[in-house]
Amino acid sequence: MAEPAGQSGVSDPFTGVLVGFARELRAAGLTVGTGDVLTYFAAMTPLDPTDLVDLYWAGRAALVTRHEDQAVYDQVFRAYFLGADAPAQSRLPLTPWSVAEAEAALVMPGTEPGPEQDAERPVLGWMASGTDALKHRSFAACTPDELAALRRIMTRMRLTPPRRRTRRTRAASAARGTEPDLRATIRASMRMHGEPPGRLYFRERKTRLRPLILILDVSGSMADYSRHLLQFAHSARHAAVHVTTRGPAPRGSRSSVEVFCFGTRLTRITRELAHQRVDAALEEAARTVVDWDGGTRIGQSLDTFVRKWARGGLCRGGVVVICSDGLDRGDPEVLAQAMERLGRLCHRIVWLNPHKGDNRDFRPSTLGMMVAAPHIDLLLSGHDLASLEELAATLPTLN
Amino acid sequence: MVDETVPDQPVVEYPETVAELTIRLRDGGYLADRGLATSLLVSLSLRRPLLLEGEVGVGKTEVAKVLAAVFGRRLIRLQCYEGITASQALYEWDYARQMLQIRALSQAEATDEGSVDKLFGPKFLLERPLLEAVRQGDRAVLLIDEVDRADDEFEAFLLEVLSDFQISIPELGTVKADTSPVVILTSNRTRELHDALRRRCLYHWIGYPAEAREAEIVAVREPGAAEQLTRKVVRAVQRLRELDMAKPPGVAETIDWVRTLGVLGETELTEEAADDTLGAVVKDRDDLDLVRENLAEIVSGG
Repeated sequence: MAEPAGQSGVSDPFTGVLVGFARELRAAGLTVGTGDVLTYFAAMTPLDPTDLVDLYWAGRAALVTRHEDQAVYDQVFRAYFLGADAPAQSRLPLTPWSVAEAEAALVMPGTEPGPEQDAERPVLGWMASGTDALKHRSFAACTPDELAALRRIMTRMRLTPPRRRTRRTRAASAARGTEPDLRATIRASMRMHGEPPGRLYFRERKTRLRPLILILDVSGSMADYSRHLLQFAHSARHAAVHVTTRGPAPRGSRSSVEVFCFGTRLTRITRELAHQRVDAALEEAARTVVDWDGGTRIGQSLDTFVRKWARGGLCRGGVVVICSDGLDRGDPEVLAQAMERLGRLCHRIVWLNPHKGDNRDFRPSTLGMMVAAPHIDLLLSGHDLASLEELAATLPTLN
Repeated sequence: MVDETVPDQPVVEYPETVAELTIRLRDGGYLADRGLATSLLVSLSLRRPLLLEGEVGVGKTEVAKVLAAVFGRRLIRLQCYEGITASQALYEWDYARQMLQIRALSQAEATDEGSVDKLFGPKFLLERPLLEAVRQGDRAVLLIDEVDRADDEFEAFLLEVLSDFQISIPELGTVKADTSPVVILTSNRTRELHDALRRRCLYHWIGYPAEAREAEIVAVREPGAAEQLTRKVVRAVQRLRELDMAKPPGVAETIDWVRTLGVLGETELTEEAADDTLGAVVKDRDDLDLVRENLAEIVSGG
């Protein structure tokens, strides 16, 4: 067991126990660096290291960096410090508390668990719910040749959302500039000992790509398409990043891309898709999406999206692309309301319905589509590569 | 973006125990639970920035304000927004003044090296929050509010400043804090913050308080309110949070509601009074409809 030397105020058994605790947290999937453990030690110095409540809160402040991880932290803490055969108990002279007392104290603190904490548990792999079709679906069903070909073409695609003006400005010619550039003008003037410069300098507002949000239906009825869509999402995400990492990117060319999946419930897979390698990223995403090939609750999923993400400003001024066939098993009222709210929160909504196919006069036939239709700005098909290319081509013009 | 409070009391040392800190904050009108107090104490003693996240209206910003007021520190607030730039956060030269100065210089003075140097002296430097905080050091509490609203480039820049509290001004030299100020960052989670920034900070999540604590908070913030009314309002708000609302009311809304009812001279939370003053707690049209449907149930009991 590695023992960080010279941690004042923390005697040896603690070192072992705290390092062990950090290791347990890591095993449970939290990213806990050595630096964080050192912070934890340092944090215990002004506190009482035999007080469980202090141990708990200091650890939570030092080792947990996001709200979603708190449930895991709580669980590991309970198991490690309070469990029946807790490793900490045998080695630590903890303040003589009964386990029940400590449990009560740990539940007591004013940080009541938010409603979303429960919703996120399954995603973290802590709880298996029997109600949804919790299946890990492999992408292997697609023939390797097909996949490879698709991937090659998709990685060449660039999704460029439309631009919007930002608050920031840049120097511009007098013809294009909208506001006088005091700074540059004075500078020029100073060069001439304070005489007014011959011309005024101007600035113009910069533009920036709007955020792009992909919401993909991975339910059973979309099974034939969702694989492609996910791959498409991956390349879309990386295309946006590539522009900035490789070569001289024009300024403001970076766009944030968020990806969500839904069947019976909504899962955010942006982070999973961050992996550079397509296979690894898709595998990761498939592991996270628990309701693969299950039923569909579009209304509920979009409602969750609106409540949890959109209202927070995730898609403000952005373009939301929803890929679904609109076969909703939920209440159409919920879907209508979610779409209406979403429409007010984002810039444009694009709906990809594979059933539209190449049919130009496609009329939505499913109830879900009919309910959602009034709020959709653009309806495309997305059933094959050509249609995805069409999406890529139309996207920049959505201003 | 500018400092808001001028300390009216002398600088007080930060306490060394959680209990003491809790009491001091309570004196300042802020009820911190054990978790928040512990995080704050650790942040104060390690001088690590504290990142506060939580629902809207649970008093994230308030923590910094009270901390500054109670311990006689100067509150320096950097309100983040989309497109905020380094010059808006650090410093800017006062061009207009420089201009006037140049015009006032005689021909001989203008060619003098010294007078040009003076143009880029402290007199012409407009301090923005971060520079001010570095200069003030321990005499300040730096509140970086709604950091999630800033762009991620700004976040990277912030990280740099937060790591060594040192700012270089090419014309003047480097300004360094002798002791780093206490830094509180707040985020409403509209955007995922970078891991690097999270790692640099201690983290605490502030949730909605339980019923008894919320009543206590209201009592501290609105001492004039009738206890009976407060209790009923808090219970009603707790019920509202159970409803499937798009924007559930925060503690700030509870306080507002009690205050509103107080202004109207209500002593009881009747269905009618609640209906009239609903605008203080529910701020979304869809939510209003939902709440009005269930109003009788929300107000009743207690």
